[in-house]
Amino acid sequence: MIFRDRGGPNIDWNFLGTAVVLACIGCLLVYSATFYSEPSLSTVKKQVLWVVIGIVLMIAFMLVDYHILFDIAPILYGIGILLLIYLMAFGRLTANVRSWIHIAGFQFQPSEFMKIFTALMVARYFDSNDRAYLDVRSFLTVMGIIGLPVGLIIMQPDFGTAASFFPLIAVAMFFGGIRARVWAVMLLTVAIAVPAGLAAMKPYQRERILTFLNPERDPLGRGYQVTQAKIAIGSGGIHGKGFTHGTQGKFGFVPEHHTDFIFAVLGEEWGFIGVTIVLGLYLYFLIQALTFAKHARDRGGTFLIICLVAFFVFHILINVSMQIGVLPTTGIPLPLISYGGSSTMMFFIAIGLMANVEMRRFVNA
Amino acid sequence: MRVYRDDQKFLQFRINAVLWGIVAAFVFLAGSFWFVQGVQADKYRGLSEANALREIEIPPKRGLIMDRAGKILADNQPSYELQVDRVVMKPLLKADKQRRQKLEAFLAKVLQLPPAEVTARWEKGSKAFSFQQPFAIAEDISMSQVATIQAQSIAFPEVHVVPVQRRNYPYGTMAAHVLGFIGEVNDKDLRQNKDLEQGDLIGKRGVELMYDQYLRGRGGAEYWEYDADGRRLSEYQPARKQPVPGDNVYLTVDFELQRRAEQYFAENEMVGATVVLDPRNGDVLAMASSPAYNPNVYSKRFTPEVYKTITSNPFKIELNRAIQGLYSPGSVFKIVMAMAGLSEGVATPDTTFNCSGGGHFFGRRFRCWKKEGHGGVDVARALKVSCDIYFYTIGGRLGVDKINEYARKLTFGEISHIDLDGERPGLVPSTKWRAEHPVKGDKKWYQAETISVAIGQGPLIVTPLQVANMTAAVANGGKVFQPHVVRYIDRVQKDGSYKRFRVPSRVLHEIQLSPSALADVRKGLWQVVNDQGGTGGNARVEGLNVAGKTGSVQVIAYSGWIKASSLPFKFRDHAWFASFAPADNPQMVVVVFVEHGGAGGADAAPLAKLLFESAFRDKVLGARLDLRNPETLEQIKEGELPLPATR
Repeated sequence: MIFRDRGGPNIDWNFLGTAVVLACIGCLLVYSATFYSEPSLSTVKKQVLWVVIGIVLMIAFMLVDYHILFDIAPILYGIGILLLIYLMAFGRLTANVRSWIHIAGFQFQPSEFMKIFTALMVARYFDSNDRAYLDVRSFLTVMGIIGLPVGLIIMQPDFGTAASFFPLIAVAMFFGGIRARVWAVMLLTVAIAVPAGLAAMKPYQRERILTFLNPERDPLGRGYQVTQAKIAIGSGGIHGKGFTHGTQGKFGFVPEHHTDFIFAVLGEEWGFIGVTIVLGLYLYFLIQALTFAKHARDRGGTFLIICLVAFFVFHILINVSMQIGVLPTTGIPLPLISYGGSSTMMFFIAIGLMANVEMRRFVNA
Repeated sequence: MRVYRDDQKFLQFRINAVLWGIVAAFVFLAGSFWFVQGVQADKYRGLSEANALREIEIPPKRGLIMDRAGKILADNQPSYELQVDRVVMKPLLKADKQRRQKLEAFLAKVLQLPPAEVTARWEKGSKAFSFQQPFAIAEDISMSQVATIQAQSIAFPEVHVVPVQRRNYPYGTMAAHVLGFIGEVNDKDLRQNKDLEQGDLIGKRGVELMYDQYLRGRGGAEYWEYDADGRRLSEYQPARKQPVPGDNVYLTVDFELQRRAEQYFAENEMVGATVVLDPRNGDVLAMASSPAYNPNVYSKRFTPEVYKTITSNPFKIELNRAIQGLYSPGSVFKIVMAMAGLSEGVATPDTTFNCSGGGHFFGRRFRCWKKEGHGGVDVARALKVSCDIYFYTIGGRLGVDKINEYARKLTFGEISHIDLDGERPGLVPSTKWRAEHPVKGDKKWYQAETISVAIGQGPLIVTPLQVANMTAAVANGGKVFQPHVVRYIDRVQKDGSYKRFRVPSRVLHEIQLSPSALADVRKGLWQVVNDQGGTGGNARVEGLNVAGKTGSVQVIAYSGWIKASSLPFKFRDHAWFASFAPADNPQMVVVVFVEHGGAGGADAAPLAKLLFESAFRDKVLGARLDLRNPETLEQIKEGELPLPATR
């Protein structure tokens, strides 16, 4: 049975509507960021296509009962792992990393879809494990589920995407329940692992962390992106320069202005007012999602939503913070707004799954 | 060890905790953005402006202006402009506080300008333009000045010699009042037209002004990357905006007619104006005003002192006498009187009045210009010999308000809506007008005043163009066209071809004149030129039926009869000649006005003769043949281009 509801599906239109509005704002911003350098508008046309495909996927993942997805989660997870291994072995280098699979002229990142599959696996695990505190064995199991794709992605090497799996670990620890003892051990491990990790990092990754501390020490060097993004955002002021009237973004001062730094275009052209509206929409969206988590029918549903919300929160906070130098620059896209096929589809699938849980919240449906 | 607990409560509590954590994070982020966009906005705005990429404007190529056959009357010539770039100067200024003074002294020496003038231009330029945009400090500089400045380019890298296009009028004063001139935008222009930017050169007078929106084109821009020292690195190609050249404007004016008309005034040292119209469609074939100015002198950026010379010239060279000069029409107005008298039935073609050299009207004695009198005169003869007594009688019978009605029908008293700036309406008196404009508190119109108006004197004032319009209406049977000096406009298309927009030939109104009255008036006008004893014999052209009317206007009131040549220049009579040809199929209207010329027949008519000869005997009129082609005439009527609004 795909539908188990009594009186038709309980679709929350506010929730889906908020997501579509954000995606539309994203298309407008991509248009504004690229129409100058790309009169053919091919980038924005592609983004519109991604959004449409994303909405179709969202509906698909909404209609199939998430319990069925829990059942097939290991298969999806396995396929994802195989793709990552394939990439490591045969992947083509794009922008210094092997994270893209090229099929029929399109390219997509399996690591994006791996986020969904991993979240499903984690939720499935907690669905069957209802103990208040994770013992060492179950904790290690969860870490293993998360660690396997992360390890493969780090080897691509795509530091930013790998980092976006950490919210799953946080969810496991915070909601799964960990004793104070274990917390202490964890913190100790981090204290040792971070300097060791820094030492093991590629130079450009280390450079990113270091310039984050003082982005203006070398405006044309590593801190260039952040400095330019800040100039773009700051010069937008309260009201912004107006749609398509930004200069910093479209003249190429802000690199990656239609992907990772699209928020700078928003800040420049729509000003503080636009920034507040978009942040408000995100917040409204997240509050609704967490409300769904609270009245989910079962533990699995709650954990699925929490895992997916964690992805959203992580992407939004990291991406928005790096625009004004609150956090270091990473290749983390802004959900639903940044240009990009894989991430747009991934976030729409995530929204579909959250709505899926909400639709089936009544036990006796 | 298993620990039991209320699972639901545990999760709810933690979800709420996370929710408030998220809200806190968002509030923190919004606060951070407030700091950047609200508190520090000015700092970043400044940084944004000073960012490495600079917009450098590329001015568009202004459209050409050509005569009706395509002879170029206004084009663009390569020239050099000197610009100061403050972005380059800024770091240098830090090293040397006196740099600007040194640079100004250097420029004053090279340009041979007073230092105060250089400072004034600098102040003006730096105020008008953004810091990013280099501003002009001198234009049209000579090659030797270019060489001197280039030699110092290492010492003064902030001064650039920039190749630009300078407006050029190859024939100098030729058709100056029609063409007008261009100049730099002023604050008023910028307020009125949002498309304009500081430093733009726009039309200031004439066709350059009226058709500026077509001629101007659209500026482009290049985007250049600069390093921190203001050195230009490379162009950011994707952002480049190509300028769009302005449209080419073809005048209705014929080069050869215009040239001959102007030459006549120049050779005879005459002040005045001439208007040549095509009575079939309102085309202005020639429009000259003498003396004229040289638009090359005015079409510049830095012209305040030159503007003074134009406006303080005693001969008012800036005045386009053809549309702005207001004069009494004198005997030329008798055409209107004849039309009115015959149409209103106060006289028939056979009605004869006796002229004895003078007569009493409304208690005052009025003289005819001919002391001996003309004897018995009918309407045709009255026109031919320009008998005043005949028209006094007609005027007395019509009254001023009837005269006003016909004068207005025949284009007097209001602007003709020609596509040129500054046209003046003139004045046709009436009892109503006098009530609104009393003389020393007296609101009454006295009938004796009507007698003066009947021969084109008194408060009645007109422009030469209005006289030409009236003559055209008589010639074409009553159609009053909106005269126009632009024939068509060519707009360059993306593929390089031209799209042609024609200026429509528009009939403003059509007046009903009885055919017999028209025939009698035309007969009289033909006799003026072609009969023995007519006043316009000087306009006679062998083999061509010219019809016309002379006019001489008293500038000062004097008693008795005085020879014009014995008076000082400024007290001499004005001379008029209004004519058309061929009389039976009018194709050309010529109106000549000579200020203080003396007599219409002697001083104004010869130019009409010259122009008719040029057009019909020498056949110099460019594109004439195509005008005679009925199909072409049809095309001209189907114009789709709106005439610019009259200012």
